[in-house]
Amino acid sequence: MLIDTHTYIGHWGFRPLPWRSTDGLLRAMDEHGIDQAWVASASAILYRNTHAGNEELHAEVRHHRDRLTPFAVINPTYADWEHDLAVCQEEFGCRGVRLFPPYHRYALADAACRELVAAASARGMVISVPHWVEDDRERSWLLTQPGIVPVEDMAELARAFPDSRFVFHSGLGFSSTALGEKGGVQADYGLDIARLTVFVREELPTLLAWLGPERLIFGSGMPFTSVDVPLFKLEVLDVPAEAQEDIRWRNAERLLAGSG
Amino acid sequence: MVIDCHAHLTGAHTGVTRIWGKSDAAVLAAAARVGIDVSCASILTTALPAPLEGFRECNRQLAAVTRQHPGTVRGYCYVNPGYTREALQEIRRYVTDHDFMGIKLYNEYKATDPVLYPIVELAIELGVPILYHAGHQHRPVPGQPNISDSGDLAALAARYPEAVLICAHIGGGGDWEWTVKAARAAPNVYLDTSGSVFDSGMVQMAVRVVGAERVLFGCDTSYTAGIGKVRAARLTDEQRALIMGGNMQRILAMRRG
Repeated sequence: MLIDTHTYIGHWGFRPLPWRSTDGLLRAMDEHGIDQAWVASASAILYRNTHAGNEELHAEVRHHRDRLTPFAVINPTYADWEHDLAVCQEEFGCRGVRLFPPYHRYALADAACRELVAAASARGMVISVPHWVEDDRERSWLLTQPGIVPVEDMAELARAFPDSRFVFHSGLGFSSTALGEKGGVQADYGLDIARLTVFVREELPTLLAWLGPERLIFGSGMPFTSVDVPLFKLEVLDVPAEAQEDIRWRNAERLLAGSG
Repeated sequence: MVIDCHAHLTGAHTGVTRIWGKSDAAVLAAAARVGIDVSCASILTTALPAPLEGFRECNRQLAAVTRQHPGTVRGYCYVNPGYTREALQEIRRYVTDHDFMGIKLYNEYKATDPVLYPIVELAIELGVPILYHAGHQHRPVPGQPNISDSGDLAALAARYPEAVLICAHIGGGGDWEWTVKAARAAPNVYLDTSGSVFDSGMVQMAVRVVGAERVLFGCDTSYTAGIGKVRAARLTDEQRALIMGGNMQRILAMRRG
């Protein structure tokens, strides 16, 4: 069993992605032995009205709910987001919210964001925060602000919501934050392994040693990034079979339990 | 045979050389773990621009490592081209006497700077490649005012069509689509796949635009990204074999003398 907690369908404004629809995502999942995926709209990241992306996602995912778990993209600085959140959960069956602060001009510490996290958590939704969707060094000339969510901000957010559930994606440097300390954050959370180093800087083995396997989850960022890389990390990571299973799917299932 | 065209080691931890990982033994164990047979490596200085005694120390250290790991570690001679006379002596000495396989240049000078010309001319004479640190971003690169991009390397390659120039790490951070396109018309510029970035389609675009014969597998110490991104590319067996080592074997065989 393998659950990919960080996938997308839709368009990206700065380069073509290898697929835009569920057909492409499901094909990639089949090719790589992925049973289920948590998916959000890539288009919604750049849409002014992110909810249009959620509607597109719903139209695509509704017939594949056995394998695809939709996550809403909500911008808490945009008009009527509370209604969008309700529609996403109640009508579209979204089990989480994925946040893109750099693209929507807010920070995780802002009151608007805290309000969204509180509202989504009250609905039992998982809060998903990617560190970035593409390496910031390739950022288009059109984007004047870095597209990065600092891992320190992720840790602060998780500390502020001890009863919430979080997943943090495509990050590095967790080991120097409260998220890398056993008991440093009371909230339940998962860190995806996509960019955690197995060798040389060895952040993934370090986090395993410090936290145990229960905080690590599988996430790829596809189709922005190649799923083969986190799969290869699993292949060469020296951990017992039980811990592999925790990372491959059990932790993700635990985090999703009770949502939606 | 799998050849990493872009590896880094540290040598002794003296403070002069840049540190990668806990030890060279750990880095080389990682390389072996992911299936790399040969690491073409350099040792870089912590101080930049590289001082004369700094790059000399790097090359001394690397010569010791290559002696400890014959056949597994091949050396790039690292120089700061600003020290022209000493850099040329260093390259000739390490290629001729210590069997180094190439030259490593960092970001001290843009590839279009005439200070590079004597270095490239010596590389042609010796028949060794130059691995050139490069990247293209759409804003100034912090701390690297003289970083080259593949367009600069293409200009240098046009001046010296016999040279073998390896444009470092298309996955090293930057607009890799720009990097690939700017190298297209420069037949003696090779693209190294290394770096921590593993965007979908990166290796495949490189193969489509410049041809598999000009794409070289590399890690730049990002071992899982290095292997994973080539695995992800839809390639024929022949293309994959060229990228993973065949092309580098061909380049290594160009060595004169």
